[in-house]
Amino acid sequence: MKASRWLVVAAVLASLLGVTGCGGDDEEAGSASESAQQAEKFPADTTMGKIQKKGEIAIGVKYDVPPFGFKNPQSGDIEGFDVDIGNAVAEKLGVKPKFIEAISDNRIPFLENGTADLILSTMTINAERDQEIDFSEPYYVARGRILVGPDSDIAGVKDLGGNSVCTALGSTYEETLSKQAPKAERKLVDSYSECLELIQNGAVDAVSTDDVILTGMIIQDDSLKLVGDELTTEPYGAGIKNGDKEFKEFVDGVLGDMKSDGRWQKTYDKWVGQYTKEQQKPPTMTLQEALEIGG
Amino acid sequence: MNDYLDLLTGNLSELASGMWVTVRLVAISFGIAMGAGTLVAALRVAPSAWLQRLGGIYVEVFRNLPLLVLLFITFAGLRRAGVPVSPWVAGTASLGVYTSAYVAEVLRSGVFSVSRGQIEASLSLGFTYGATLRRIVLPQAFRTVISPLGSLIIAMIKNSAIIGVSLLALPDLLKSARVIQSRTFETNEAFFWAAVGYLLLTATVTALIRVLESRYAIRR
Repeated sequence: MKASRWLVVAAVLASLLGVTGCGGDDEEAGSASESAQQAEKFPADTTMGKIQKKGEIAIGVKYDVPPFGFKNPQSGDIEGFDVDIGNAVAEKLGVKPKFIEAISDNRIPFLENGTADLILSTMTINAERDQEIDFSEPYYVARGRILVGPDSDIAGVKDLGGNSVCTALGSTYEETLSKQAPKAERKLVDSYSECLELIQNGAVDAVSTDDVILTGMIIQDDSLKLVGDELTTEPYGAGIKNGDKEFKEFVDGVLGDMKSDGRWQKTYDKWVGQYTKEQQKPPTMTLQEALEIGG
Repeated sequence: MNDYLDLLTGNLSELASGMWVTVRLVAISFGIAMGAGTLVAALRVAPSAWLQRLGGIYVEVFRNLPLLVLLFITFAGLRRAGVPVSPWVAGTASLGVYTSAYVAEVLRSGVFSVSRGQIEASLSLGFTYGATLRRIVLPQAFRTVISPLGSLIIAMIKNSAIIGVSLLALPDLLKSARVIQSRTFETNEAFFWAAVGYLLLTATVTALIRVLESRYAIRR
């Protein structure tokens, strides 16, 4: 196992055990200053222009959701898929990214009060949130999946009947499973780290939740595997202050470039693909479609 | 008030099945606690220093470990070691063994309330030590400690809630209330009925203990 892999394992462990970051600013010292000269200059009255004047962009990310946004316990840096997307946006503007922790509860207020210019925190696009903020086009489509142990015969949700499946108390999967696998015995626990323990010690046959979280488990234990088709579709979008059309178009532009020039694929392989051994193409779902799914 | 009744009628079967799980957990654990507790109490008063020490170690280990730690060891620990214990086995064994340490101590105090003279008389009449314990001492000891044993059962009913919130995730009364809460967001209503359920169980036990006490208790 490579050293870098251990770092990820440690990060996953730390976050699953509930060790959250102690706050503080984490600034990515990247190649921002070099690219600053090459970056396109935006009019001063646009959000892009204001960010360029400040010299940095405040991006709200999760600190505890490997591999999307998590704190590397060794370096203290914030890393992950969402973070790489944020880096790409900052690079295009020629500014430094400043990553701040945005939990589900405070990320929308952060946009409204200007604490964050952009939110990239595994946020599922839905109509309810769309009332409060604007969304970019979907940059990742998470899916509700099933995780099983190495010798399992379960190949999908149809095979769950009679088996036990773990998910978190209060998650949407409680309802999803009762609809799609009514005969399965649902084990409801407080955190997904408990589901990981239960599937590792064989007390449950499967775990079901977002593939993003399940990937975090595979990073810790690569004998586990994802099976079957998706149970649910959770398109993630970047959060932008309500009504800021130009900035939304700008972010969509960066995301579009990433999807078409191979950077999205590289980021996916780095954070997700290498662990799940699955291939995924950049999402083609539009914001409109995402809003219709989310209801 | 209507909200409370609506939640009860809408989720009655789930709450009832949770209560039934709690009742079974407590009943099985109680059997284990009494059986193991009696054996350990016998060791504690045995005429051999080694047996007494053995009983002492048992009591000190299981009385001094948090129940949650026992649950983790018997369930996650044993499973990791390749022993496929079910949540039911791990839960009832942990709660039973944990409570048995207290039962042993309560019974020991009951044994000491039987006068030395009775034991000597019994031994001099040709009873073996075991028979003396079984026929003379323990019957009186049990009757002396009915009330403290009742307190232990009540504590056990309340401790059983830990099994539901632990990794074992058995769908007991508290767990069913939490599932209902997470689905309906009716926090006060869901936990109110869980509290009522536990009170029903403990009140029943209290009443039973009262009856036993009035019939059998030795008052000194």
